[in-house]
Amino acid sequence: MSGYEVTGLHVVDRSGRTIVGPVDLDAPTGSVVAVMGASGGGKTSAVLGALDALPAGLRRVGGHVRWEGSPVPPGRAARRWRRDRAGLLGQDPASDLHPLRTVTGLVLEGLPGGPRRRRVEAAHRILGRLGLDAAEVAHRRPHELSGGQAQRVALARAIVGDPALLVLDEPTSGLDPATLERVIEVLADRRGAAGRATIVITHDRAFAERVADTVVVLGEVPPGPPLPADAAPGGEGAAVLELRSLAVDAPGGGPALLGGVDLAVSPGEFVAVVGPSGSGKSTLLRAVAGLHPPRAGTVTVAGGEAPVAVADRGRDLLRAVQFVGQDPMGALHPSHRVGAVLARPARLLLGASREEARDRAVALIAEVGLPADVIDRPPGGLSGGQRQRVAIARALAADPDVLLADEVTSALDARSARTVLDLLDALRAERGLAVLLVTHDRAVAARADRVLTVDPERRTLLPAPAVSGAR
Amino acid sequence: MVSRILMFVLLAVVLATAALGGWVAPHDPTAPLGAPWRGAGPEHPLGTDALGRDVWSRVLAGGAGLISVSVLAALTASFVGVAGGLAAGWAGGALDRAATALTDLLLAVPSLLLALVVAVALPGHTAVVVATVCGGAPLTLRVVRDAVRSISGAGYVEAARCRGESGAAILVREVLPAMKGVVTADLGLRLVVALQIASALNVLGFGPSPPEPDWALMLRENMVGVAMNPWSVAAPAAALGLTTVLLALSVQLAADRDPVAPRWRRRNVHVGL
Repeated sequence: MSGYEVTGLHVVDRSGRTIVGPVDLDAPTGSVVAVMGASGGGKTSAVLGALDALPAGLRRVGGHVRWEGSPVPPGRAARRWRRDRAGLLGQDPASDLHPLRTVTGLVLEGLPGGPRRRRVEAAHRILGRLGLDAAEVAHRRPHELSGGQAQRVALARAIVGDPALLVLDEPTSGLDPATLERVIEVLADRRGAAGRATIVITHDRAFAERVADTVVVLGEVPPGPPLPADAAPGGEGAAVLELRSLAVDAPGGGPALLGGVDLAVSPGEFVAVVGPSGSGKSTLLRAVAGLHPPRAGTVTVAGGEAPVAVADRGRDLLRAVQFVGQDPMGALHPSHRVGAVLARPARLLLGASREEARDRAVALIAEVGLPADVIDRPPGGLSGGQRQRVAIARALAADPDVLLADEVTSALDARSARTVLDLLDALRAERGLAVLLVTHDRAVAARADRVLTVDPERRTLLPAPAVSGAR
Repeated sequence: MVSRILMFVLLAVVLATAALGGWVAPHDPTAPLGAPWRGAGPEHPLGTDALGRDVWSRVLAGGAGLISVSVLAALTASFVGVAGGLAAGWAGGALDRAATALTDLLLAVPSLLLALVVAVALPGHTAVVVATVCGGAPLTLRVVRDAVRSISGAGYVEAARCRGESGAAILVREVLPAMKGVVTADLGLRLVVALQIASALNVLGFGPSPPEPDWALMLRENMVGVAMNPWSVAAPAAALGLTTVLLALSVQLAADRDPVAPRWRRRNVHVGL
């Protein structure tokens, strides 16, 4: 047997609770292996444990790793092996990028040695393959990249050195379909290559089936992608959210992204915004939430014009518009327990008593599909998908009229994503919650009443041709 | 884990000794008891000094003043720095620029020199506090300000803004707890510098006046007899050194438990006078 073999791997946390294991994982050379499983099921921990790259607090207590038949002992040897042979794309690539390096410099980290000019050419070629214009982004730093662009830069860094073992943790979250095709092409090239093994951690079943020779499932089997549900009643009555000629620039005084966006969202309506990454979708949502000053235009909520800055908005307006951001890792305060996080909006915005807020928090935890015991835990022990659901619950705790959601299902496995989308559907039907959601996932967009595409040329939102069903 | 427990036990012993040593001292630390410069013996474990006073009793009694004034100075410096850093980092703009300019100005003045000038006019304790605040608070302010700026973009801070928390509530509930590691590590450095300033002033004679037991003062008084009774200098020096190291290390360890801002610790080690 050749390739990367992991046997009996067992990872525990500080208190000795098993996170994952014992797990066996075989990635023969020339193959692509997909690791799937429910969010919070220990997919990432299993693979990082094998590579001895576990975050603080997690420990590998058992298991053997072999590469091409020779053992890779844990500890220093494994770390050296990882540095020499492995390319790793983390789950949260944006925060793995050094904030002061340019894109070229970041990609070169994955390609040590050799004449600089040739390395730069190789780096730019890889960026081009992933659909980034090297001439345009080469000198940017991470804060000038969108989430999807940062994801691709991190991916380029992982693959540029053509590592013996390539590990990609959720490489597809935050990518638009065109870019996804390019990633699939890159993975297809590694298929059958001598001495090259690839492990992909994903919750996207369609992606796993396309790229992988073998699919390993940890924990219970996740069901298929979220299916389009019957559209909730929507599109009637006066608009609850209205954007008039809203124009936004890139954060930090960058170039103009969108100009003259006109959009009306009715109560109960679900509007999805899709488009290439870096086209200003997230910035648009942030501008509506009052977190990013727009260049021009107005935002009207329930008939009244909303101040552009969140600090100037009154309590009722704050309650009415809630925002869930893109980055689940930074969304929760490291020292606030989940229960407190969920109780606070109800206390502040709904004037609920301590007990009411607590009851509401308990109910929300169950509604987003999290186990009840997370309520007393700090977010440190939660996975990306669990954090994302806490962040969604926090926004729903305020009982909003409009939910602005940025890529909220990208960190979720299919079942959790469906739970969340079903919950949103129920709230739309019961209370007329309007949802404005940015996504790259066609299956999610297919559940929307309307899909709008960002047209980067004309810098505006256009109605998309009816998106055909998932897959 | 074991080293951490050991560290806290040692720290507790040293602090308790420094605080309560005066009561448990076997002899009156200011009373002449025997021949001057006697070496270590059964009656006086660390011998006697120039006036025949028991060195062991004086070491036990001589730390309380030094440590309490240093802790007070360090806490004041840290408080001023954290408050200024929070305000500057959160408000940005003109306030931020003014605060940064003021820190630059203060950092240009050597703290020890400032302490000496202040000590001429005011009591030694006040001089220690003033010098530590003027020399240390600007460094704390810088560190805290940068931490605030990076934290204020985090998702949980935006969520707090979206539910209409006031600026003060966000700073106290969200920002400050997220950087307690930075603040604690920085407090350790302030403590070490405060001890340095306090002992330097006491050695120079701006602290307590002669019959009082004080580690730094003992160094100066007993230097003439170091050949006859080495313990009279070595013991207070060791006490001073051990206390400083333990205080610094235990604060560092307390900060290490906090997983929030690991990158901050090593980058912002400003020790100096």
